[in-house]
Amino acid sequence: MKDTQALIERVTRVNDTHQHLHLSVDPSLMSMKAGQSVLAKVNETWTPYLRQQWFPVKLTKKALVVERPAAEPYQPGQVVSLLGAVGQPFRFRRSLRSVLLLAYDTEPTPLLMTIPALIENKIGVTLVLCGVAAKYGTAHLPPEVEIIQGDSELNWQNRVTTIGWADQVFCAAAPEVESVLLARALAVFREVRADVQQAYLFGVFRPPLPCGIGACGACLIKVKGSDPQFACAHGPAFDLTQVGGLG
Amino acid sequence: MSVRISRLGKNTLVLNTPVMNAAGTMGYADEYRDLIDFGKLGALVTNPITLAPRDPANGARVVPLDAGVLVHTGLPNPGVRAVLDTNRDKWGKLPASLRLIAHVVLLSSVEDVRRCIAALERVERVDGIELGLSDEISPAEAEWSLRALISKSEKPILARLPFGAGVEMARACEDAGADGLVISAPPRGVARDGLGRLVSGRVYSPTLKPLVLRLVGQIVRQVELPVIGAGGIHTPQDARDFLEAGAAAVQVDSAVWVAPNRLEWIARDLGGLVLTQPAGALADEWFPSMGMTAKMPAQDKESTDKHENDLD
Repeated sequence: MKDTQALIERVTRVNDTHQHLHLSVDPSLMSMKAGQSVLAKVNETWTPYLRQQWFPVKLTKKALVVERPAAEPYQPGQVVSLLGAVGQPFRFRRSLRSVLLLAYDTEPTPLLMTIPALIENKIGVTLVLCGVAAKYGTAHLPPEVEIIQGDSELNWQNRVTTIGWADQVFCAAAPEVESVLLARALAVFREVRADVQQAYLFGVFRPPLPCGIGACGACLIKVKGSDPQFACAHGPAFDLTQVGGLG
Repeated sequence: MSVRISRLGKNTLVLNTPVMNAAGTMGYADEYRDLIDFGKLGALVTNPITLAPRDPANGARVVPLDAGVLVHTGLPNPGVRAVLDTNRDKWGKLPASLRLIAHVVLLSSVEDVRRCIAALERVERVDGIELGLSDEISPAEAEWSLRALISKSEKPILARLPFGAGVEMARACEDAGADGLVISAPPRGVARDGLGRLVSGRVYSPTLKPLVLRLVGQIVRQVELPVIGAGGIHTPQDARDFLEAGAAAVQVDSAVWVAPNRLEWIARDLGGLVLTQPAGALADEWFPSMGMTAKMPAQDKESTDKHENDLD
């Protein structure tokens, strides 16, 4: 974890709702993995007070690319303060052939950085956009990614087949109602698969992070058979079958 | 520079620098080791500790506010035994000059709190106890509880007053034998979360500073105890204002989260260390030998020129 400054080199609009910021960052952040994030402060004022959690979507040779809502104003040349890297990389199984990424009522941003590495390793990637997420434009994503749109009840075409094919699933949900939506996702997967095994279905938890370092205790997740875990330091991905309070 | 933050006695707490974090902001030990030089701080105050483990609160725990944040953690902690098992070695590796203050919460029975304090006092590295008084406690209850705890305690006990508690509470703590006062805990507030539900929690914001500063100014004139000011401190000037109001030291709270280097910045400033920043440097691009510039004399032109050449 380092407190560094980054320079916004380019701002590119990728769809109707989102833009990519190409950041020139400290070398320590150029080894970030999918699942990790940075906490950004874009100005010297205290509004907004907390740092924003920025998820990278890809690494180029020179830049860390993060995705932000198009409504937020950014300028090339702007300097931002970054704390990071926050969190742990997603843990993939070794014998992986197909991964299902599920964005539920939220943009798929936290999931997107997995895509280049998965494709490079010839692992099939299916991105399911449910509810509000279905409005997310996907023209900028690699053509190898299978895109499916679903409704807010987690219904989509060939759902049983899609879930059956997946060796691992990562699900991001709207942060405001994260636990409710992730519990619903767990219920749907339990309905479709007779047995949802451990290390199969992961929820990506994104509560507001005051410290991002595992110090303040505001992001603790109850985990069955273990001490509570920090979403910032141990997450963001947690095995949904092991998270307490989801059913 | 040395600053006394507790009554004179066998185990008087003396700090090298009148700056520390507030309870609940920096974990139990070295969580901020990569971001803050602990050697520059006067003390480290741990997250809250209770005798028995406490689970995190249910529901929304953080509500962003205009120029602040509301946090409701539920004081999660693994209990004093687990805290000691996990952190005893880490505490031993902290700089020797850093005083370690364990924050104990007065929420359960006095007997439970006494047992918790007793367990902490057996650890040599723990230099003092900060006792967080609950928001609802009356001065009479505080005095009674503190008397029961302090009579059996070896190490200095600082009483952290609830927000808004005034001179009467401070005197009650002094009469009960508290070794110092922390003024104050963050206030409690209520705000709506993203779903429109009301969430109660502690409010952290730079806007609290004037409120706490007034309280500190009122209380230091009425009690003999050393007072530590805590609330809304985000800049060295904020901290200096508290010292000017009569506080012996300050605690920095949520500024640690949003800008961790601020704590060290404030500590360096109040610790008599001189910051040197070449003209035109970026904010984090301080002069490389900054860490060694203790009580550095004013720079003459020659050394200034040399620094500028170093940057070329």
